[in-house]
Amino acid sequence: MSDPREPIIRFEHASFGFPGLIALKDISLAIYEGEFIGIIGPNGSGKTTLCRAVLGLLAPVEGHLHIFDCACDALRCHHRAKIGYLPQKGVVDRNFPVTVLETVMMGRYGALGLFTRPGRKDRDIAQEALAQVGMDSHKDHSLGQLSGGQQQRVFIARALAQQPKVLILDEPTTGLDITAQHNVIELVQQLHDELKLTVLLITHDINMIRSRVDRLVLLKTRLFAAAPPAEVLKPEILHQVYGKDLVITEKDLVIVEDYHHHH
Amino acid sequence: MLDLLAYDFMQRSLLAAAMVGGLCSVIGVFVVLRGLAFVGAGTSHAAFAGVTLGYLMGWPPLLLAIVFGLATVWITGWVEERGRMKLDVSIGILYTTTMALGILFIGLMKSYNAEVYGYLFGSVLSVTPEELSVIGALTVLVLGLLLLFSKELYFIAFDQEMAEASGVPARQIFFLLLTLVALTVVVSLKTVGAILVFAMILIPASTAYQLTHSLATLTLYSATIGIFTSIAGVLISAFWDVPSGPAIVLLATTIFFISVFFSPKRRRRIQLVHSH
Repeated sequence: MSDPREPIIRFEHASFGFPGLIALKDISLAIYEGEFIGIIGPNGSGKTTLCRAVLGLLAPVEGHLHIFDCACDALRCHHRAKIGYLPQKGVVDRNFPVTVLETVMMGRYGALGLFTRPGRKDRDIAQEALAQVGMDSHKDHSLGQLSGGQQQRVFIARALAQQPKVLILDEPTTGLDITAQHNVIELVQQLHDELKLTVLLITHDINMIRSRVDRLVLLKTRLFAAAPPAEVLKPEILHQVYGKDLVITEKDLVIVEDYHHHH
Repeated sequence: MLDLLAYDFMQRSLLAAAMVGGLCSVIGVFVVLRGLAFVGAGTSHAAFAGVTLGYLMGWPPLLLAIVFGLATVWITGWVEERGRMKLDVSIGILYTTTMALGILFIGLMKSYNAEVYGYLFGSVLSVTPEELSVIGALTVLVLGLLLLFSKELYFIAFDQEMAEASGVPARQIFFLLLTLVALTVVVSLKTVGAILVFAMILIPASTAYQLTHSLATLTLYSATIGIFTSIAGVLISAFWDVPSGPAIVLLATTIFFISVFFSPKRRRRIQLVHSH
């Protein structure tokens, strides 16, 4: 596929992991500014590893990874601040004694750098981020008092407070009820459209994102596909990765055995 | 009781206790939130081993306490970062090893040395003017650094990987926190003693944790509780002639249990149970 634009994230035959335990092998992938990418694959397929690499937390053991045209292992802190990240649920202690506004303000710290105190401008940016996710009326509440869906919104606001170019979300709907799942995905779509953010969204729920994303990236240690949903969601392609766990219904719904139950 | 306050030694001990109480309770906020509670315990025993080696060899005890304390926290931090070993295991090993060294060094001393036991159990009432100035200087240094890096320290306490991902030099800040914990422990040795300094780091912050949901308020409450219990503990110690370390710690523990009982968090949980 030829594209006149310069990619902002570029994997070139990149492998990640440790010698003897390779989580991602020989990945070549270019992601362009403003793309909405869905990352799918079974558990342990390297989805989170791919995101940690883009965040500059992992350097490739082989090949290259360029982010904003900067080699990943040489990523400077101000580059990292341009990537907003919503980690997988359960990684963060949600009973941590912190208010909603204090949580979102943390999104400013990386960009501010050491020795600089957050000021009125940072407070305004944080409040605006809260307004964008519809949580501005909760700013003085304790984070632990909020519902799962509301907490996800606050963490998205924290990522937005970084004023990022790229937004990475690792299974943002896990553990939420159906309405909250839908609302979170709707919010991500809206942020992508309005703020022209490049979005990388990891999910198990292929049906919820298939009509929204520009491309689906299908992983299982290797990269099996990186193409528009219509080209990826074909039985012959999906069966390579999911095997017999995958069912495609008459209405074209893709059903993958619920992996969460295996944990 | 007011007569006591006229004595120089009493003024020195109150000042030392207030500084140590404030310092321990502020750094305690980060220690409790980052889940480093046992690092405090391990470090205090390591620092005590440094003190005993100092007395054995005739070297400055506080300097060796700093060396031993720093070595322990840095090894602990390095092991955690490498993911080689669970943090509680590595601290457990260092904790007991340094305690064994401390006991060995005491055994090797030719004569009984009461000052060494002062570092083990704390003797705030015997703080000298020189010790007070060391405590003062280190308190200003550690509190100054905590203030300077407070936003990064809060962030790594909340989520270190997230902090790193968003551009905060999280690893360096983590090692700074460990270093400051070691310095705090050394500053506090003479006042509350190696065995009890851990409590002064842990209890005021845990008490404040029961009472608020805001990081800023948490730090303020913790410092207030730490300073109040330290001063009150010294007064109790002088008035009723009981050891100062236990007086401070038991007072702090009492306030902790009261706060657990009256905690708004606890009340909310009870309401939730009843509404179901």
